Amino acid sequence: MVQYGSTGNTGNPGDLEATDAAYTFRDLPEGAKVKLTNGAVAEITGNPRDGAWLLIKYLENPEDPSQVGEDDMVFFVDVESLA
Amino acid sequence: MVYINRSVGDRSLRAMVDLDKGIVDREIYVSEEIYQQEMEQIFARCWLFVGHESQVPNPGDFIISRMGEEEVILTRDRKEKKLHVFLNTCMHRGEKVCRYDDGNTLVFTCPFHGWSYDTDGRLVGVAYYKDSYNGEQLDKSKWGLHEATICNYYGSIWATWDKKAPSFEDYVGAYAPSIRHCMQGSDGEDNGMEVFNPIIKWRIPTNWKVPGFTSSTDPAHAAMTHRSVNAAAIGPQGDDGVGNRAPNRAPFPAESWVVGDHRLGHGGGYTFYQQPGVPEYVDTWAEPGVDEYYRARRDKKAEKYKDTIMAGRGHGGGHFCVWPNVVFDFWRIRPWHPNGVGVTESFRIFPVDKGAPKEVKDAQRHYVMRYNGPVGMTESDDMENWNYVYPASKGVIARKLPYNFESAIHRGWTDDRLPGFTISQKKSEEAQRARFSRWLDFMEAGSWDDLYPVYKGENLHNK
Repeated sequence: MVQYGSTGNTGNPGDLEATDAAYTFRDLPEGAKVKLTNGAVAEITGNPRDGAWLLIKYLENPEDPSQVGEDDMVFFVDVESLA
Repeated sequence: MVYINRSVGDRSLRAMVDLDKGIVDREIYVSEEIYQQEMEQIFARCWLFVGHESQVPNPGDFIISRMGEEEVILTRDRKEKKLHVFLNTCMHRGEKVCRYDDGNTLVFTCPFHGWSYDTDGRLVGVAYYKDSYNGEQLDKSKWGLHEATICNYYGSIWATWDKKAPSFEDYVGAYAPSIRHCMQGSDGEDNGMEVFNPIIKWRIPTNWKVPGFTSSTDPAHAAMTHRSVNAAAIGPQGDDGVGNRAPNRAPFPAESWVVGDHRLGHGGGYTFYQQPGVPEYVDTWAEPGVDEYYRARRDKKAEKYKDTIMAGRGHGGGHFCVWPNVVFDFWRIRPWHPNGVGVTESFRIFPVDKGAPKEVKDAQRHYVMRYNGPVGMTESDDMENWNYVYPASKGVIARKLPYNFESAIHRGWTDDRLPGFTISQKKSEEAQRARFSRWLDFMEAGSWDDLYPVYKGENLHNK
């Protein structure tokens, strides 16, 4: 199992709301899937490792289905959890 | 908006720079007001050396460089693999978007509010975009990083902020081929160099013009300033023959002069070679394998240029200033960046044959390190002068006195082999006077329309 996060301050690896979520976010690998706060699901296509942004490709987006397949960037506050 | 000093009255710029007498007022080196005018009139307009393409070989690579006193990012974008030069400032609220000297990145993210830019400069990430801008109010396409116009000239990267600037080749005029040849490998192939990374950067307490205008070429200083390091014989040749501190010198019929282009501002050393081909290789290096490598490359170059007049290394001999602030040699590139009226940030960039074996690169690197930079023996000598000229010139009494640039004045001649330039004897301040001629032009010009073309109807760099 992939262990996300590096400080050990959370007992829930991959918890993007934990106090050390910036570390977790920074280390999310390409190919991982995330659920966004608007219900969309996306695949990580790049991680600049700044703890704030992810490059993604939409896999599902109930709010705007036309975005499926499109590349975008997502700010950490708009990421709810790992999918 | 900077107030522009013009040549009116006793305190005019032209009263401070008397090129007929070779007298230059120290005020132009120590005045904050004049310095600010230089930033606006010179550094916001000129083509400036930014770096070398080998510093950013891969998509997403970047380095921090400078244009005037402002930081810029030289980067190769991830999609098109094109080179770009961006001002290192977030378009939102001005924070630096890059805080590292070099690296590889997917995006440049501002640490202030999180605006994020692709390596091609596009604004691609705005935090709370949907909440704060309704997902459309802010037009991201209008808020990309501020980009300079660039020219990749045989691997050397130049940039200007002024969209009306002439082409780079027109800007450098008759020195264009010399830059090209300095960027050739020792086998005579174009784009044959890479540079050692990281480069040397350090700050010296002096006005940028002290080293920028006078270290190429100031032949008279070498005898006094470098007397000790010459005795130490730190060059590849050591104390054998013509060794001292210099790189290889080939016995080849040539004339070397000090030259200056009063209309474009460039100048320095120039060598006219007189026979087709390149000189025989002379063993130079103490390190094993290095002479064998350079001899083989020299033979290849000699074959290529057997019917052509061509220098051994760096046609024109190198050691010339491209106006306003960079001095070119085939083995080192030296930009002097203004960092306030009394501080200069110096870069030292050292080209070496692309793909040379490790022992050759090591030998070359060791030589340039013992020569250059704050711990290099030759430039340590120079720093004794650069660092003390400024404080000894800025006092209320000292600043009222002039500097003397009279050496070999009114003795120059012209030569069709180097059109536009004034040729002068080896011990001459002609190159410095040429720089001051162009300095006056730039400081007073309203736009490039007043600065170029300087040679009406002539296409000098193709001659």
